Amino acid sequence: MSFRSVFIAVVIAFGLIVAGFLINRARPRVETEQPTEALVRASGKCAECHVRQQYSVVHEYEMSVHAQKSINCLDCHQPAQNQKGQEHHGFVIVTKLTAGNCRSCHEGIYQEFVRSRHAAVSWAAVYGEQGLKPEQVAFSEQYQPGGVKGRAPHPFVTLEGVSAMTSGCDQCHSIGRPNDDGTIGTCTACHSRHTASVELARLPTTCAQCHMGPDHSQIEIYEESKHGVMFHAQESLLNLKVAPKQLTTKDMFVPTCATCHMSGINGLKVTHDPSERLSWFLAAPISQKRPNYAQTQTAMKQVCTQCHTTPLIDRVYAQAEKVVETTNSRVQQAQEIVTSLQKSGTLTGKPFTHPIDFVYFDLWHYDGRTSKHGAFMGGADFVQWHGNYPMLQKMVQLRSMAEELRKQPRGRAAQSGAGQ
Amino acid sequence: MIRDHEERVVWYSDPKLWVELFVLVNLAFLTLDIYIAHSINQFRRSAEYVPFYFSLCAPAVLAVGLAAEHKWHHSTVWRDLGYLVGWSAVAVGVAGVVFHLDSRFFYERTLKSLTYAAPFAAPLAYSGLGLLLIMNRMVDSKTLEWGQWVLLLALAGFFGNFVLSLTDHASNGFFRSAEWIPVISSAVAIGFLIVPLLMPVTSKFLQLCAAVLGLQVVVGVLGFCFHAEANLRGPSVYIWDNLVNGAPPMAPLLFVNLVLLAVIGLWVIHKRTSKEFI
Repeated sequence: MSFRSVFIAVVIAFGLIVAGFLINRARPRVETEQPTEALVRASGKCAECHVRQQYSVVHEYEMSVHAQKSINCLDCHQPAQNQKGQEHHGFVIVTKLTAGNCRSCHEGIYQEFVRSRHAAVSWAAVYGEQGLKPEQVAFSEQYQPGGVKGRAPHPFVTLEGVSAMTSGCDQCHSIGRPNDDGTIGTCTACHSRHTASVELARLPTTCAQCHMGPDHSQIEIYEESKHGVMFHAQESLLNLKVAPKQLTTKDMFVPTCATCHMSGINGLKVTHDPSERLSWFLAAPISQKRPNYAQTQTAMKQVCTQCHTTPLIDRVYAQAEKVVETTNSRVQQAQEIVTSLQKSGTLTGKPFTHPIDFVYFDLWHYDGRTSKHGAFMGGADFVQWHGNYPMLQKMVQLRSMAEELRKQPRGRAAQSGAGQ
Repeated sequence: MIRDHEERVVWYSDPKLWVELFVLVNLAFLTLDIYIAHSINQFRRSAEYVPFYFSLCAPAVLAVGLAAEHKWHHSTVWRDLGYLVGWSAVAVGVAGVVFHLDSRFFYERTLKSLTYAAPFAAPLAYSGLGLLLIMNRMVDSKTLEWGQWVLLLALAGFFGNFVLSLTDHASNGFFRSAEWIPVISSAVAIGFLIVPLLMPVTSKFLQLCAAVLGLQVVVGVLGFCFHAEANLRGPSVYIWDNLVNGAPPMAPLLFVNLVLLAVIGLWVIHKRTSKEFI
């Protein structure tokens, strides 16, 4: 046997083996460094089909921090506790994810979220206690007293019907939907699904999906405020991708909604419960201080001090609280008019069956809220022309309507209202 | 059996017949293999049925050809049916490669996507079998050249095994280190089998090649057991789902299969080199 033949055989074999090792070494970590065989196979195997069926889903995932940290498709899509999996081409998965899937890695964040008004309270604002388990109601009441317990579904559920609720209210209020697996809500409302993005959650437009319009016009107020104007002017200079615990005012020297209400800027505590920094129940017809008023106001003022001096912050708060006080007093007057009509039997029947019901509702629900939010968020026009002015107008309307009703024979108001 | 006027050849010592049987059995097995492989895609395109039906019919046609040749001594029937199946197989293989180019790799062209791409080279198995049939009719089986062609096609098969075991197991992240065995084993097979094609070799080297092929048989059987075990404990309650989506059950047996072809090639090379070179 000649050495030449053996040498050629060994060199070719060795070359091929080395090539094999090099190719494997060049592969992404997310696909090789996984704890189980199924997880190893998942990302690429899923992508092979889904890149052709839903390209954006795979593309978004590949750009996400999840992909960079070797979190693959199956990590999120495997059945979490109390979820029923389904067989899918050799994998057992769930297709509809809930906060239950995210909490398997982000338990602390879920606990903050579930204590917030984004959770059960948000759902109860539309459907009351319906669908929530007693233990979920009890849990929510510990942190948001009166937010869920004893709350009836909103009258609009019946008056406007299922389709209006499904395509309307549900789209925002399902952030607190009770899930079949016993968890509440979904993280993807703010972070998106396959992007799982912190950057996205920091954008004002993300919050604006729900916090917009005449009843909660936070985004419109923000856009008018200096914060909003500067954000749009300098957005390209901000670094919205920084990890929550590392975020500083160098990265976000202009705040968005998340900066003030949730972010841990310059070492402050990150929270997924915006209530931790809110001192008033501004959404209520007549606003009350929250039970932990001093603590939450201090927390928010601490965020403000990252950019502003204390005298300025105190002045803004003092002025805003004056607006709350005035608005409360106006709503109180309006409420008394309606209550007196009801007590005297002049206004009878179910809610929202007479024009005066809508005038009163719009007064506190649109104008009252807008003036209060505008005062805290630097939206001058919303305090005045979208808040106090329409409140004044509706008070005149309300008094006039009440006078008219009192002139009518008893009970007629309800009948004429029902007729309309 | 009388093969021609000059030489009496017993059927079991006729390499030409063995190659013919090799192709026939392989095409028949490909019916099951293609059914499983395209089931992953749920036969989404009707073209995916073409190799399935071809594999179903071709062995029958070849069997008729063999009967015509060996029972009724109609060599032209054997030859023409063989050409028909051979060229058709080449066409099916080439068309298959073109269809498989639709895979992810050809959108992204990265190592990562190569791992999960539809095995674009796999349809070349048909072309290889087709070329064997054509070669078997165009080259005299009593020559060294015939043996070298057979060995070359077996070598191409081992190269395919190297690429497929590398990419398939890469998609599994080489989770078990045993997944490297077929990669290394097929690389060794390629290294040794290429030498008789490049230069004259001694019979001792051919014996060494035979030993290397023995190793491939062990690897193939071991792989079949590993794949079967993985599928039996797969995630689905249905074995079929595990077979279709899990470890390909037949793939490791390709090692054993190619050993048979390589042995035929080495056998003829050994006979001819004994006469011509050594």
